[in-house]
Amino acid sequence: MVVDDDQDLAEMLGIVLTSSGFDVDLVSRGDEALEVFRNNPPDLVLLDVMLPGIDGIEVCRLIRQESMVPIVMLSAKGETQDIVRGLEAGADDYMQKPFRDKAELIARIRTRLRRTNADVTGLLTIGDLTIDVTAHEVHRGATTIQLTRLEFDLLVALAKDPGRVFTRDSLLSEVWGYRHSTDTRLVNVHVQRLRSKIEHDPEHPEIVMTVRGVGYKAGGPA
Amino acid sequence: MNGIRKALSHSLSTKVILSTVLLSLGVISLVGSALNSRLSDGLRSSSFNSAISESKFTFFDAEYKLAISRNSTVEERKKILADIVVNATTQVVKEARREIIFLKVPSKAKLKVSYVMTSARIKEASIPEDLRSKVAKSNNIENAYAPIEEASGVNREVLIVGKRVNIPSGGLYEMYIVFSLENQTATLSLIRNSLIFTGFALIFLISLITWLVLRQVVKPVREAARIATQFTQGDFSQRMKIESQDEMATLANSYNEMAQSIEQQISRLENLSRVQQRFVSDVSHELRTPLTTLRMASEVIYNQRTSFDPLVARSSELLAAQIDRFERLLEDLLEVSRFDAEVAVLEPVEFDVVALISRCVKDFEIGEVDTESGIRIVSDAPVVQLQADIRRVERIMRNLLSNALDHADGQEVVVTIVATETEVGIGVRDHGSGLDESALIRVFDRFWRADPSRARVRGGTGLGLSIALEDARLHNGELDAWGRPGQGAHFVLTLPRKAGATIEGRPIKVAPKDFHEENFYL
Repeated sequence: MVVDDDQDLAEMLGIVLTSSGFDVDLVSRGDEALEVFRNNPPDLVLLDVMLPGIDGIEVCRLIRQESMVPIVMLSAKGETQDIVRGLEAGADDYMQKPFRDKAELIARIRTRLRRTNADVTGLLTIGDLTIDVTAHEVHRGATTIQLTRLEFDLLVALAKDPGRVFTRDSLLSEVWGYRHSTDTRLVNVHVQRLRSKIEHDPEHPEIVMTVRGVGYKAGGPA
Repeated sequence: MNGIRKALSHSLSTKVILSTVLLSLGVISLVGSALNSRLSDGLRSSSFNSAISESKFTFFDAEYKLAISRNSTVEERKKILADIVVNATTQVVKEARREIIFLKVPSKAKLKVSYVMTSARIKEASIPEDLRSKVAKSNNIENAYAPIEEASGVNREVLIVGKRVNIPSGGLYEMYIVFSLENQTATLSLIRNSLIFTGFALIFLISLITWLVLRQVVKPVREAARIATQFTQGDFSQRMKIESQDEMATLANSYNEMAQSIEQQISRLENLSRVQQRFVSDVSHELRTPLTTLRMASEVIYNQRTSFDPLVARSSELLAAQIDRFERLLEDLLEVSRFDAEVAVLEPVEFDVVALISRCVKDFEIGEVDTESGIRIVSDAPVVQLQADIRRVERIMRNLLSNALDHADGQEVVVTIVATETEVGIGVRDHGSGLDESALIRVFDRFWRADPSRARVRGGTGLGLSIALEDARLHNGELDAWGRPGQGAHFVLTLPRKAGATIEGRPIKVAPKDFHEENFYL
C-alpha cells in the first residue's frame, strides 16, 4: 500500500513497484488510508509524512494500534525531529526523498518483507524471555509480548549471539538491510521502543544493554 | 593622583562637584576679601575722623587752659597739666583707652622747669622721630600710625595725634594723644573671621546643593545608560520610564522612539531574512517530491535505453545524469539554508578519522577509471580517534578530495594527517594549476569557480567548499586554504579532538612543507 498525496509520485511508485512484482494500492488522503488498510490488509505500508486529512505520523500511530505490519515512512524533510517523530509513532524505517535510486527503495522493501534471520530456528532464551523464532512470538512466562516484525528481528539478531557486541552500523545492515548508512538514529529509536516493551525497567535495561561508544548487546539467559 | 584622575573621568558627579567647589571658592574669596577691605577701610576712617575731632577739642581745651594760666605758679600749672591728662584719658568709658604725653620741643634754651608729663604707660621713645619733628615745626595737628611697645613688651598698633602747645614760662611743648586701636582691631578680626566662616559654610552648602541637583540629573542619565546597555546586549524591549515633563522626559521620549524604530527595523530585517531562509528551505523541500518522481521515471526510461534508437538512448543518459546533478545541488542548497538559518546540529560520535579518509579515498578510486590522479595518505599514526559529526567530516573530506582531484591536473594528491593531544590536522595537497591571491579570498564563496572555463569533471555544485567551511566551523574547527599559481593548492582542516572543544593551534601549517617562498620568487 502506498499513501502519498502527490498523485504523480504515487503513480510512479506504483509503476516501479508493480514492475518489481508487487501488488500496489494507491491512497492519496490520510483519512482514507485506514479504511483501505482494513479492507485490504497489505504486507507493507509506504507512508508519506505530509498528507491531507490526517498526517502520516497520525496514520502510522493508528495503523500500529491494530497491526504489526512493516511501515516505511517517506519524508521530504530530512530534519531529525520529523524522522524521530515518525519512528516513535511506530514506523520501522524511513526514506528521504528523493530516493538515491529505485534499487535502494526496492531493496529496503524486500528487507522489510523478508524473514530476516532465516538461519535461526527454534527457541531462544534471553533473560526471562523465550523467543519462538519459528512462530514469531515472544513470551515472558505465560504472557505473550506483541512486537512488530522489525522489533522482533532486532531482538533475534541480538539474542542469537548473546554477549556479542553489535555496532549500530552492523545492526543497520543486518536488520534494516542498509548497504551503507551513517544514520544511527534509526537504531537508537528502535532500541528504546523494544526496551519499553520487553524490559522490566526500561531505564535500567537487563536484556538489551548499551555498550558505551560501541553499540548494543544482549544479556545472557537468566 | 591617578585615582583622582580616574574618579574625574569616570564620575560626572565628582567632576561637577569639584569644579563647583573650586569656582565658588574663587568667587567667595574674591567677594569676601573685597568686603573685608571695604569694611576695614570704613572702620579705620571713621575711627580716625572721630580721633582727630576729639583731639582738636582736647588740644583746644589744653591750649585754652594753659593760656589762662599765665599768671599761675609753676605748681598750679603742673596741676592744670595733670588735670588735662586725667580728663583726656578718662574722658569716655566706652571708648578705647587713650594716653597723653607732653614732651619738650628740643631747643637750645635751658629752662629750669620741666613740664614733661605722661599718663602711665607711654615712654618718650615711643613717639616716632619724624612725627616729633613735624609737630615741632608746624602749627597744625599732625598724626601717625605707629607700633608702641607696652610695658608687657607687646607691640601694638596705635594712632598718635600731636600738636605743638605753648606752656607759659615753659616754652614750646609737644602734646600727643595716643589712641589705642584695640577695639578697631578686634572688630576687624571679628569681621574677617565671620567672612571666612560664612565663606566656608557657603561652599559647603553650594556643594551640597550641587550634589542634590546633580543626583536628580545623573540618576536618570545612569538609568538611561543602563537601559541602552541592555538594548545593546540584544534586549530590544527595554524602554526608558517617563515620569515628568522636563528635558529628561524629552530625552527618554526620543530614546524610546529610536529604540522603537530600531526594534521595528531589526524585526523587519529578521522577518525578511527568516522569510527568505524559509523560502529557500521550502523551495528545496517542495522540489524533492517532483524530483523523486522525475528520478524514478528517468530510471525506468534509462533502464530501457538499449531498446531505443541511439539519440533517444543518449538523451535518457543525459537526463539521468542531470537529474543526479540537480539532486546534489538541491541537497547542497538545503544544507546551506540550514547553516543560514542556524539550525544545523552537530551529532558527534567517536570514530577513527584515518579509516574514514581511507574509505573516502577508496570510493574515489573506484570512480577514477579515466583519470590518472592518485591519492596518497600520509599519517604518523595508524589510528586517530576523533569525536565529531562523522557525516559532516566525511562530507568535508569528500568535498576537499573531489576539489583536489578536479584541479590536480593528473598529478598525485597527498592527504596528510597529523594529530596532537587536542587537535587533528588534515591537509589535502595537490600540485595542479594552483590559486592566486584573488582566488584564495573567494575560494570559499558560494558558486565561485577558480576557472569558469574549466570542465566540470566531477560535476561539483559550487557549494562544496563553502559547505565544508561551515561544517568545519560548526565543529569549532577551521578550514584554511593556500595556493600559488602553478604550485598547486593546499587545504588544511583543523578539528578539535573532543566535540565542543576549541582549537588552540594548527598541527599542519597551511603553507605546505614542499614549498619555499624564496625559491618561488627567485
